[in-house]
Amino acid sequence: MLKNYLKIAFKVLLRRKFFTFISLFGISLTLVVLMVGVAFFDHSLAPHPPETNAGRTLGVFLVHFTAPGGRDSYSFPGYALLDRYVRTLPNVEKVSLYTFPTTAVSYKDGMPITSYLKRTDGEFWQILGFDFLEGGPFTSQDEKDGNFVAVINQTTRKKFFGGEPVVDKFIEVDGQHFRVVGVVPDVPMLRIVPFSDIWVPISTSKTDAYRKQFIGSFMAMILARSPADLDMIRAEYRSTLTRVEFPDPKDISKATGEAETLLDIVARTFLLDFEGKSPARRFLAWLILLMVLFMVLPSINLININVSRIRERSSEIGVRKAFGASSLTLVGQFVVENVLLTLVGGLIGFVLSFAVLHLIGSSGLIPYAQFQLNYRIFFVGLGITLFFGLFSGVYPAWKMSRLHPAVALRGRG
Amino acid sequence: MIRLTNVDKVYRTSQIETVALNNINMEVKEGEFISVMGPSGSGKSTLLNVLGLLDVPTRGTVRLNGGEVTSYRDRDIARIRNREIGFIFQTYHLISDLSVLDNVEIPLLYRRLWGSERRKLALAALERVGLSSRVHHFPSQLSGGQQQRVAIARAIVGMPSILLADEPTGNLDSQMGDEIMDILKSLNREEKTTVMMVTHDPRLAAMTMRTVRLFDGRQVN
Amino acid sequence: MAKHLLKLVWNRRRTNILIVIEIFFSFLVLFVAVTLGAYYAHNYRQPLGFSYENVWNIAVGSLLELNFDRDRDALGARANITKRLLATLRDFPEVDAAAAMPEPIFDISKSTQTVHYKGRRVGATVNAVTDTFKDVMGLELVRGRWFESGDDALSWDPVVINQRLAQELFGSEDPLGKNIAPPDEGRESRVVGIITEFREDGELAGLDNYMFTRKKLTGVADDFAHYIVVKVRPSTPTAFQEKLMARLRAVGRDFSYEIKPLPQIRKSFLRISMAPLIAVGIVAAFLMIMVGLGLVGVVWQNVTQRTTEIGLRRALGGTAGSIYGQILGELIVITSIGLLIGTIVVAQLPMLGVASFLSINVYLTGLGMSLALIYLLTVLCGLYPSMLATKIQPAEALHYE
Repeated sequence: MLKNYLKIAFKVLLRRKFFTFISLFGISLTLVVLMVGVAFFDHSLAPHPPETNAGRTLGVFLVHFTAPGGRDSYSFPGYALLDRYVRTLPNVEKVSLYTFPTTAVSYKDGMPITSYLKRTDGEFWQILGFDFLEGGPFTSQDEKDGNFVAVINQTTRKKFFGGEPVVDKFIEVDGQHFRVVGVVPDVPMLRIVPFSDIWVPISTSKTDAYRKQFIGSFMAMILARSPADLDMIRAEYRSTLTRVEFPDPKDISKATGEAETLLDIVARTFLLDFEGKSPARRFLAWLILLMVLFMVLPSINLININVSRIRERSSEIGVRKAFGASSLTLVGQFVVENVLLTLVGGLIGFVLSFAVLHLIGSSGLIPYAQFQLNYRIFFVGLGITLFFGLFSGVYPAWKMSRLHPAVALRGRG
Repeated sequence: MIRLTNVDKVYRTSQIETVALNNINMEVKEGEFISVMGPSGSGKSTLLNVLGLLDVPTRGTVRLNGGEVTSYRDRDIARIRNREIGFIFQTYHLISDLSVLDNVEIPLLYRRLWGSERRKLALAALERVGLSSRVHHFPSQLSGGQQQRVAIARAIVGMPSILLADEPTGNLDSQMGDEIMDILKSLNREEKTTVMMVTHDPRLAAMTMRTVRLFDGRQVN
Repeated sequence: MAKHLLKLVWNRRRTNILIVIEIFFSFLVLFVAVTLGAYYAHNYRQPLGFSYENVWNIAVGSLLELNFDRDRDALGARANITKRLLATLRDFPEVDAAAAMPEPIFDISKSTQTVHYKGRRVGATVNAVTDTFKDVMGLELVRGRWFESGDDALSWDPVVINQRLAQELFGSEDPLGKNIAPPDEGRESRVVGIITEFREDGELAGLDNYMFTRKKLTGVADDFAHYIVVKVRPSTPTAFQEKLMARLRAVGRDFSYEIKPLPQIRKSFLRISMAPLIAVGIVAAFLMIMVGLGLVGVVWQNVTQRTTEIGLRRALGGTAGSIYGQILGELIVITSIGLLIGTIVVAQLPMLGVASFLSINVYLTGLGMSLALIYLLTVLCGLYPSMLATKIQPAEALHYE
């Protein structure tokens, strides 16, 4: 039965090659756009190494500071605020403090090399699961002792040392000298938590001023004992902020904020909603709505093309009905044909998405981007393709199959 | 077996009304071989369509073996079309994308049969109409007479109890026409198939048991 | 004929409505993309007003307090740093001139101010620069003079404005010597010179009113400047950056420095500025393709529905050309309806004051190009199905009873 359907499906598609091409083109193009969008989203926000503990990690990214006059600002918290109030949160497994990556210039043979520099504590390496290519991370002891050690990424190793083993070699960054203790693979720039080219201990900062700052350029990672603890930690953080004693209450009197995931902070940035509960769910809902809207146009086009194609076959429909095909059977047949078409379109879409993502990755527009089509994205794409097939096949097929055979045979649709 | 009561068939567009059938009352008994005659536009094909459940009357009832078909659900009508009825169209209506064998198999697709079963029955039907040598050809490669024979094979492959033929010899020469008539007659005689045939050839009508005459959508004598 | 087509289109309005909506939306998006592109293209062709070749930018940041503007003591402790840095830079033979300013070039950050004259209030982008700035950037004076060291002793503040600001604030009057400070302001700001142009945000940005005020290096805490621009001798090697960096660090140990050639900054800023255009462009392209596919489908639907009619027209003597004409004609009518609604919506925009930075010329160019593109798309999409329609034989179409 299926074989018969497939046989005729192929014949029909080949009969009107141009319109088959149009349908395939529309489906694959939409798929490429959607898949690239999903891959982008997945690349930036979904858990990937080295964020191996993302399921039980929360971050402190932005804090809302208020001055007595009512003026306020959203800023990164300072070291003092995080060290005194976040490191001391109860019931957490580990806390790490690290800076926002800044650009640092080094000179090699007179030529400037610009790298991103991030200062972290030892706990940073214990929460994140980096796969060291050489050596290992620096430790909390290094941080305490103020040792000038550094972890660098592959590309930095190549830029400075031409790719040879570098542990225990020295590197100059922004006027300071560090001993390399480890090398890690490149981290994509969009993964802002781990991202950098060079990582060094916080205590190697050029001045000590950061130790007293409540507003600064630091962020924190909180590792919970289990995912179930996350809500509790959120609550604790919220209430801890209300108990903060500021050094200069005339300057800043209040701080509010949330411990949250990267998705939360991205959602807030897009929806401009920084107060209260995370709008992550709303953000995802908007994205899904956008995806659906994106698919509406091509679906409508497909329906139109299908209606015409089926109308052309009214004679065949009449014959099949005359010989005992029920309306349901006919709808089934046409849906199979349409799903076949859209699966082919889907396949083309996959291949093209692969190519496009590879192109974006290798173009260097976004440093170290590693777009991949993983199984999650595969299933989204498959779902979208099937949605297309069913949606655009059912309506025209149903319309046509309801005709009396005599009407269909006459050719009037 | 088939009974039409007060059947009208009216075609309506936004401005024009065409009466194709007007107050038809007739009965077809099992095993009959009937011809339907009348000038062009008299409603012959329409009558056949109604008898063959290809169309529904605007008014009146159609009864098949006692059951009022006009009120049946689509699924049940489909069943009847599949098991009880075989239709031979004047313009063949073969599916050009399928081979002769695949065309003949179509009615069997809607029954629960294995592919090998279907193949066997289809080949038997083609043998009956003398087309065993053209099984894998496509309709475009056949002559008019051969296409008509494929249409007949398709109509009989499911062994229906009722066969309806709309001008089955209309596009054929007299020799071919006679051959077709022979097949119909043998089906009626041997398998006791009820046959209803539209024709405008009095010679053929004479070979049937009785003739229904139509004029302007009405039965006349 | 047109009436006939309109009738046909109206009679099948249900199917056509979808296409009209599709065309309407894609026209809107296309209009935004094309107009934005025209705007950028128009801006790009205007002169920059300065030269960026052989100019290096040094971003100076404080290591001690991030927001040290809040901490007056920290400021006072590091007085004179800009003056000292500039003096050090001039010592190098490779350096022709060096100047300091608070606002960066080729960057979204900017400072604005309102200037006053005879009751008129006009907004302008403002930057406070040291006297050598004109030499570093190669500004072109058309009237009056630039800042000079003697200005330190003045009891009023000198300003230099661009021609556009001169035109908008003074009209046909002579700006030189006039005061443009707010009426309740004690100290006067007088125009001493007029330059052709200074487009701080680069070639893609809009055309602004611009004003330079004079940055004094008299040792008061306020004289710190975040950016220093240096004119280096042509063919100065990049290796010189390292020497420069070492000296800067020696002079100001509490500060961080980032040295980048201005042409490089310009390039990356251009890329960022183009991002919105590229994003809208991609969406517009996608929509156009989808609408195009939709149009082809709809026209074909049209054709298959009316094989009888078409065959009949042919049997009655219609030529292939007339078939093309009819089908394409209907298509153009449908498109025109969608475009008409779109144009009406788009015409409201300038009246509502949306995107007032667009000049009428750019607006009309954008509108014209969008209309032309959509019509072109429409005709292209209608060609193949119409071609199929002309292939229909009369006999095949009229084959029953």
